[in-house]
Amino acid sequence: MRRLGLYLLLGIGLVGFAYPFVWMGIATFTPEAEIPELTLLPSRWTLEHYRLVFERIPVWRGLLNSLVVALAVTASVLVFTSMAAYALAKLHWRGRETVFSLILFTLMIPFLLLLIPLYTLVVRLGWTDSLLGLIVPFMMNATGVLILRQSFLTIPRDLIDAARMDGCGELRILFTIVWPLSVPALVTVGLLTFIGSWNEVLWPIIVVREVQWMTLPQLVALFAVGGGAEGQLGPQLAAAFLLALPIVLAYLFFQRYFIQSFATSGLKG
Amino acid sequence: MRETARKTGVRLEHVWKIYDNGYVAVEDVTFEVAEGEFMVLLGPSGCGKTTLLRLVAGLETASRGTIRIGDQVVNDVPPRDRDIAMVFQNYALYPHMTVYENMAFGLKLRRVPKTEIDRRVRAAARVLELEHLLDRRPHQLSGGQRQRVAVGRAIVREPRVFLFDEPLSNLDARLRVEMRAELARLHRELGRTVLYVTHDQVEAMTLGQRIVVLNKGRVQQIGTPLEVYHQPANRFVAGFIGNPPMNFIEGRLEHRDGLRFVGKGGQVQLMLNAADWPKVRPGQAVTLGVRPEAVALATVEEAAVMRGQVETVEVLGAVAHLYVRIGEATVVAQVDASVRPALAQEVALRIDLDRIHLFDAETGQALPRARS
Repeated sequence: MRRLGLYLLLGIGLVGFAYPFVWMGIATFTPEAEIPELTLLPSRWTLEHYRLVFERIPVWRGLLNSLVVALAVTASVLVFTSMAAYALAKLHWRGRETVFSLILFTLMIPFLLLLIPLYTLVVRLGWTDSLLGLIVPFMMNATGVLILRQSFLTIPRDLIDAARMDGCGELRILFTIVWPLSVPALVTVGLLTFIGSWNEVLWPIIVVREVQWMTLPQLVALFAVGGGAEGQLGPQLAAAFLLALPIVLAYLFFQRYFIQSFATSGLKG
Repeated sequence: MRETARKTGVRLEHVWKIYDNGYVAVEDVTFEVAEGEFMVLLGPSGCGKTTLLRLVAGLETASRGTIRIGDQVVNDVPPRDRDIAMVFQNYALYPHMTVYENMAFGLKLRRVPKTEIDRRVRAAARVLELEHLLDRRPHQLSGGQRQRVAVGRAIVREPRVFLFDEPLSNLDARLRVEMRAELARLHRELGRTVLYVTHDQVEAMTLGQRIVVLNKGRVQQIGTPLEVYHQPANRFVAGFIGNPPMNFIEGRLEHRDGLRFVGKGGQVQLMLNAADWPKVRPGQAVTLGVRPEAVALATVEEAAVMRGQVETVEVLGAVAHLYVRIGEATVVAQVDASVRPALAQEVALRIDLDRIHLFDAETGQALPRARS
C-alpha cells in the first residue's frame, strides 16, 4: 500500500516534469493555430515549423560550431582540470593549500563580472568572430578541479608510488592510472562542462557577430527574439527543441555514470 | 657478467629526514647492505623504518646525508631510474589491470620487447603459482594471491635491489608463515639485495641475514639475528626482541663479599662474577635484564635468587610461561610444561648468570661483558 502511494507520488512528479518537454515536442509538429490550446493530440501533424527554421537559420552550420566548441571545451577542461586536481591531491609542494583556496575563490566570482575584462582581452587577441574566442576562455574551470580533486584524494598513495617505481612520470600516472580509476567523476565533469558550453548564449552573442561562427543556441535565440520567427510560436519551439535534443541524448547515454558519481562521491572505498 | 653487474649493495651515510613541520623521522642513520644481502629494518610503528625505505626508493628525498646504490649516489635520481622494485604493505596493485598487465606494466614502460615481457611474466607466475590467475583482476583475488602478484611485479623487473614494506602484515597467520618461507626461498634463488621493513620480530629473525633495529628515527643496533638477540646493545633492543620480552629488574650494584646486584625493595639478590663485568662501579644504578628462558625454578635452596607468587601460567605445549609476582615487579620464567606449579603457589626462581644483561639505568646502554 505504501509502495502504491510512493509510485503515485513519483508518477505525479514525472508528469509534472516531463509534461512541458513532451508538450513542446508535440507542439513543434502542431499547426500554429492549435498550439495555444496546449493540446497533446493535434488535429493534424505538420513539419512546417521545422521547414521555416531550416530556411531561416543555418542549423547545420550552427550545430557544427556548437559541437566543435563544446567538444573542444570539454576535452581541454578534462585534461587541464585533472592536471590541476592531481597536483592538488597527490603532489606535495609549497603553497598548495593557498593555490587551492584561490581556485575555490574563483567560484565566488559571478561570470557577469568577468564579462567585460574577458571581452577586452579577446578583442586584443583578435579572437572575436572566431571559435577560438568561444573556446579558450573556458578551457579550465574551478568546479571541475574541485570534483576531480575530491575523487583523486580517494586513490591510495601507495598506488601512485607503485606506478612511480614502475617507471611512470607524473603525467603518465595521471592518464594511465588515475584516469581509469576516476571514470564516474570524469564523466560528471565532462557532462557538466559539455552542457554548460552547449547552453551558453550570452558569451557567443557578445563575441561573435558573423553568422558563420554562431553557435546553435545563439542562432536560436536571435531567431526567436530577433524576429526571424515572425512572432510565431511553432518555429520558436522547433528551434528550441533542436537545441535540447543533443543534450538529452548525451544525458541518456551517460546517465549511468552521472548518477553513480553523485551517489558515491566522497565514500568511494 | 650482466648478473654480477646488476647485483649491488645499498649504503646510507648520515641520512636525516626532517619534515616541513619540523618532525624528525630519520636521525643520522648510517648502515650498509652488502651485495645480495637480506637486510631487515625492524622497529615499532613510527620508528622511521618505512621512511628509510621510501628514501632508498626515491619516494622521499633525504634532508641530509647520502644514499648510494652500488657506486652511484642516488639522492637526486628519480625512483624510475634507480633500478629498484618495491612491494607495498597493501599490495598497491592497479585495480583496472589484470594480473598479467600488472606484472607487465613496468616492463612495458621500459620498452622491453613483448616476447621478453611474456617470458618473464610467465616465469614469475610459475614460480609464484599464479599461472591460472593471469587474466583475473586484483579484486577477484584473495589476500595471499594479491601479495604474490605484488611480489611477481617486483621480480619480473629484475631490479638491482628489492624493497619490501611490511609485505606480510595484511595476511593471516598461516599465510604469513607460508609467504615467509617463500620469500626466503626467492632470495636464495635470485640472490638479490633485499631491504625489508617489518615490526614483526619473528619475520626479522627468520628472514634477515642482518637486522637494523630502529627506534624514534635512530639506529639502535645493527647485527645478525643472534647478535641482536644475545648481545643487545641497549635496553630498547633487549626489550623489543624476544617473546615474551626480556625481564627487567631495576636495582644497583654493591660490593659486599664480591659483586652483588640488589633489586629495588631488596627482593632480588644476585651474586655476580666480578670478572665478567670489568667496567662497573660499586653503587651504580643498573637494570638487570634476563630472558624468560634464563629464569628457572630453583630446585636447590642455595640457587634461589628471588621468590614470589605465581600469577598466571601460559601453557604453550612443550613449555609454559610462569608470570611470577615479586614485590612490585612481575618476572616471566619459561619452564618445562610438565613440572609447572599451580596458580598462587610460592616459588623460588634462579637465574642463569651466563645469560644476564646489565644496562646503565640512566643511558640504557648495555654494560660490556668480558668474554671468556
